[in-house]
Formats: sequence, structure tokens, C-alpha cells
Amino acid sequence: MSEATAKKRGFGATIWEYMTTVDHKKIGILYLIAGGLFFAMGGIEAMLIRLQLAVPNNDFLSAGLFNEVITMHGTTMIFLAAMPLLFAFMNVIVPLQIGARDMAFPFMNALGVWLFILGGIFLNLSWFMGGAPDAGWTSYASLSIASPGHGIDFYALGLQITGAGTLMTGINFVTTIITMRAPGMTYMRMPLFTWTALVAGVLIVFAFPPLTVGLFLLIFDRMFGSNFFLVEAGGNTIIWEHLFWIFGHPEVYILILPAFGIFSEIFATFARKRLFGYSAMVFATVLIGFFGFMVWAHHMFTVGLGPTANAIFALATMAIAVPTGIKIFNWIFTIWGGSIEFTTPMMYALGFIPSFVMGGVTGIMQAVAPADYQYHDSYFIVAHFHYVIVGGVVFALLAGLHYYWPVIFGTMLSDKLGKVEFWLFFVGFHLTFLIQHFLGLWGMPRRVFTYLDGQGYNAANLISTIGALLMAAAVIVLVINIIMTVAKNQKVGRDPWGDGRTLEWSIPLPVPYYNYAQIPLVRGLDAFWIEKKEGNGKMLPAESVEDFHMPNNSIIPFVMSLGLFIASFGALYFASGKEWAIDAVADLPVKPWAFWLLVIGLAITFISMITRSFKDDLGYYVTKEEILRDLEEEERGAK
Amino acid sequence: MADLQEKPMTETQLRNLRRQRTKEMRLQLTGFSFMIFLTFIAFGMVALEFDPTFIMGSVMLFAFIQVVLQFYYFMHMKDKGHDFAKLFMIVGMYFAIAFCVTFIYIVWIGQPI
Repeated sequence: MSEATAKKRGFGATIWEYMTTVDHKKIGILYLIAGGLFFAMGGIEAMLIRLQLAVPNNDFLSAGLFNEVITMHGTTMIFLAAMPLLFAFMNVIVPLQIGARDMAFPFMNALGVWLFILGGIFLNLSWFMGGAPDAGWTSYASLSIASPGHGIDFYALGLQITGAGTLMTGINFVTTIITMRAPGMTYMRMPLFTWTALVAGVLIVFAFPPLTVGLFLLIFDRMFGSNFFLVEAGGNTIIWEHLFWIFGHPEVYILILPAFGIFSEIFATFARKRLFGYSAMVFATVLIGFFGFMVWAHHMFTVGLGPTANAIFALATMAIAVPTGIKIFNWIFTIWGGSIEFTTPMMYALGFIPSFVMGGVTGIMQAVAPADYQYHDSYFIVAHFHYVIVGGVVFALLAGLHYYWPVIFGTMLSDKLGKVEFWLFFVGFHLTFLIQHFLGLWGMPRRVFTYLDGQGYNAANLISTIGALLMAAAVIVLVINIIMTVAKNQKVGRDPWGDGRTLEWSIPLPVPYYNYAQIPLVRGLDAFWIEKKEGNGKMLPAESVEDFHMPNNSIIPFVMSLGLFIASFGALYFASGKEWAIDAVADLPVKPWAFWLLVIGLAITFISMITRSFKDDLGYYVTKEEILRDLEEEERGAK
Repeated sequence: MADLQEKPMTETQLRNLRRQRTKEMRLQLTGFSFMIFLTFIAFGMVALEFDPTFIMGSVMLFAFIQVVLQFYYFMHMKDKGHDFAKLFMIVGMYFAIAFCVTFIYIVWIGQPI
């Protein structure tokens, strides 16, 4: 039952262990691997886009294929790469940071990761099964209802499955952080990464239901004959736009807030200073989260909502600059006067400040509704959101990967290669996207598969493509770094950076499967740092060594997700060739087995839910003897 | 698989718990009869053919009172440790109302404001 003893295990046993695991650290690794693979896919799609646009009148990709590639690039990067990779760090780090032994709902955590993985696979299977979705990652209903074939169906069903997983994970983070903090860890002593994870969790809980509703309406329209978005039948396509952006705007904060959290930890650690203005940072985080829900219509200024509505949303959008500015200044003051160590994560963090501010400034420009009519649907917008998402979120992911690698895998990534990677990525990023602002202002529309010669776009587009190749080179350096580190497998001990401030650095590496032999007592913000400066450098235990309770592994989350995966194929082909179906799929051959596939898939899910409900699984106890043995072993190892 | 480790309760604890539960039950019944009474008035007003505008207003008010009672007494929001649930519901309602207002004014009525 216990995986603590590092036995050599067969390949099959390891696979089985990961398929059934409910351990937050292993689920984090699953998120990291799956998210990493989807990141690579999205990256390849990005390279295809840039290669197509490198020269005018290019025919490397056809127009239809280009639409599929940009749609899948956006969808994959947001839903299947950025968010899961952040979940990877949140999963591993948050329970450690608050001094807990696992998440509040370990079973639901496993369900969340499997729903994400199978939903992501389902979405990407569209490449091999008749064409990927091609209506953009926003999939506006006027386009998506008309899109022929099953591409959009893959989008709607795949995102519905991953979305359900994300919603569960969000609930799980909120519950974990509210209920499972170690003694002494009050809200105002929580590390900032935990705070941002909490706010991101709350945003998920409020933002994903509108997406679920929107996707269901789309699924019903495309697969089951309803008329929510069919204008000729009295529907209204604007409803989709509102529902999508009510979700979509908080979604970008779901991405950026944990990124802010990662950077806050990195700044404090490598400037060797307490985070400046901690309470202002917390306040700003919560405020950004709240404002995030009041601004969605700024994506729709040109829809024609009217001047009053536009003015309200423009004002609300500009208000967000205030808490974000507070954060930027606090980070700068944290570095100011610190004894800075230029490690790879710190380089990313330092590169993040100017990059993100540039993205923020263009954001304010677009918040001015009348000016937005000029920027709308041009490359200026593409430049803006890549500056915030890549300059903010991807920098944080790469920084976090280097920073938290020892906690996750017990080894260190090479700092030298890390710096090569940083410079390639940083230069490549600015080379790619800075010029795109100007392309937009010169009039190049976004989402076009090619452009004519002699319009003045040639040189800028070529520069942009070269930058993109540099970013690809950076990722290849990272992969080489990972392979070398895994091959060397040089284990590091507790607090490998030497300046760890928060609880996750206070535990031995590799982290025991139960995390804390004794739940630590937290005496203030930066609990581990306090013990280093005022105590003996070890966390004080808040409890005596006792038996404690841990959850059992279970295959049910995987089976439950598999059921939905199978059912999705049934739903996908359900409307094919039916007389009531929308024009997009009415001409396709009838699939009589689709209905039964839907029933079988849902039956698998419901039967596993019933099994889970009626089978009592009370977990197991880790015995006092085992803990004492581990503690003694560690003591011996330390001397 | 181990069983959950639980200690049996003492006599005093048991008595206190029982007393608490009796009190709880009384509150639940009071709340329930009050809600039935409100429903009765609502139906009564319709049966006696009061002014429709008046009925609309008062039924909305009754409905709101019922929702509050439902949350506080039947779903235990009055008990300790529900601060976050309360906060979430209020914020959620605020967002939901904001979304509904926009949908009514800039999607369905359709006249740009």
C-alpha cells in the first residue's frame, strides 16, 4: 500500500500506480507530463502558423488547414497547456505550502486530471477523424454552427469534458486552502502562491459554469436539434459571445494569477527579502479576481452594444490596471535592496516585469472603446494577448519548472542550460511579438492565412517567424536539459536553492508520500525562513508522532472519465445524416451505432459513480512505527 | 483497510447533543410552518383576485423571504463555519444578477444603450 519504500518496480506497475493514484504530487506530475505534451503540440501548431506567414502568398498550409491550425493552437494552449501546467504546480506545491498531507478531495483530484487528459485527447483526435475545429478558439456561434463536418463537435465535447475536470479541481483547491492549513497559518500568513491559487480556484468555480452552459447550448444545437444559436429559427448568436466571454475573461485571470504567485515566491526567494507589501499584494489579487467578472464585454466592443454599455465596460477594464500596478511596484520594491541571485527562475522573473507591463499597457489602449474599433481584429490584438500570456504565464511556467523541479522530482535542472534557454526564449519572444504591434497598426488583419506582396508586411512577418524559431530553440534546450537531468539523476537534499522561505522547502527531498511526518507549526509569514533566522532551521511540529489517515488508490476516476470519453463519440456522430440535423452534418452518412455508444459510455460513468457511492473506501492509516523509522533514517542521512 | 478510529461520546456530551437537536427540530418546524403560511397567503391573494401588480410585488417579497429561510434554517447557513459559503453565495448572486441584467438589456431587448 505504501509507496514510501523506494522499491524497484516494473514498468507496468508504475503505469498502474499513476493510473490509480490519488496522491497530489503524482497527479501534479500527470498534469505536468500531459500539459507538457499538449504544450508541444500547441507549439508545433504555432510554428506552422509562423512558417505559413513567413513570406507573402505562401501555400505551405491551405486556407482551411490554416483555420484549423490557429483554432487548435489557441484552444490547446489555453485549455490543455497553460491551465494544466499551472495546475501541475498548484497540485504539488499548494498542499506542501499550507502544511497538508494531501488535497481535501484526493479522489476528485484524480478525476479532474483524467477528465482533462481524456478530454484533451478527444479534442486532438479531431486531426485524424475528419478535420479539426476551425472557428477560432472563441468558436463564435455564427461561424461554428455553419462549420461543416464534425470539427466543432470535437471542440464542444472535448472542452466540456476538460471543463468538468477543471471545475472539480477548482473546487478542490478552494476547499483545500480554506480547510486544510497547518496550525498557525492564518489567511494573512499564507504564501502568495497559495493566495493566488485560492483566488484562481474561486474564479474557476464562478467562471466555468457559464462556459459549461454555453458549450451545452452549442452541443444541443449541433448534435441534438435545438435552436439556441440558429438565427433562422429564432436563436441569437450573441448569447454565445456573452457566455463565452463571461467565462473567457476570468479565464485569463485564472491563468495569470497563479503566474503572479509563482513570481512572487521567486522574487522573495532570490532577492532574499520578504515580499514587499504582502497585504497589498493579497488585496490586489482579490481585487483583480473580482474585477475580472465585470469586464467581459470589452472583448465585444465592436458587436454594437451601444455607447453606454461600452463606456461602463471600458471604465471597469481600466480599473484593473490599478491593482496590477500595485503588484508590479511591489515586485520592484521586493528586488530593490535585496541581495539578488541570478538563477534561471529569477532571470525569468526579471524578464517578466517589462514584458508583462508592455502587454498591460496595450491592454489599457484597447480598453478605450473608440480606439478599440481601430485595433479590433488586427495583429495588434494578437501582439497584446501574446505579450500577457507568453510574457506572463509562459514565463511563469518556465520559471516555475526550474524553481519547483527539485520539489517535484528531487533533482536540479542545469542552471547553465537554463540561462541559454532563457535568453533564447526572451529574445525570441520579443522578436516575434513586438513587431506584430506594428503589423496591426499598419493594417494587417488577424486570422488571415496569407497576405499579398508589396503591402509592407513582408519584412515584419519574416522577423516574427525568426523570433518564433528562437522560442522553439529555447524549448528544445529545455527538453535537452530535462533529458540530461533525468539521465544523471543526481539527487538533491532539503532546501536545494538554499534560500527557501516557505513550507515546501522545509521537507526532505524526495518528498515522503505522506508529505509531513508531523504537521508543522507556522509562526508567521515565510514560516521556514523564520525558523532559519530565529529557530534551529527546522519546523516545529504541531502534533506528536501519531498514526494518521491516508486515502486509498482507485481506478474509478479513470473509468469514469473513460465512460464520458466513449459517450462523446456517440454524441459526436448522433446527428450525422439525420433529417433534423443542422446543414453542417446533414449530408454525412448515418451512424446508427452512435446512440448505443452514447448510452454505453454514460452507463460506464454512472455505474462507476454508483460503485464509488456504495463501496465504502475508508483509506488506511500510516503507522507511528513507519513514521519513526522514516524520521530516524532521515536523521542518519543528514549526519 | 482500517476502520475509522472513533471515540464513543460521554453521557454529558450525548445529553447536550440531544438537547441541541430538539431545539434544532423546533426551529425547523417553526420555519416550515411559516413558509407554508406564506405560500398560503400567496395562493389566497390570487384566489381573492387582488390587484395583479400588488400580488406580483408581494409574491416576490415572499419568495425572497422563503429563499432566505431556506438557506439559513434548512441549509444550516445560520450555523457557525459558513462564512465562506455565505460570501460565495452573495458574490455569486451579485455576478448572476449582473449577467442577467446585461442579457436582458443588451442581448434580448436588443436596443443598444
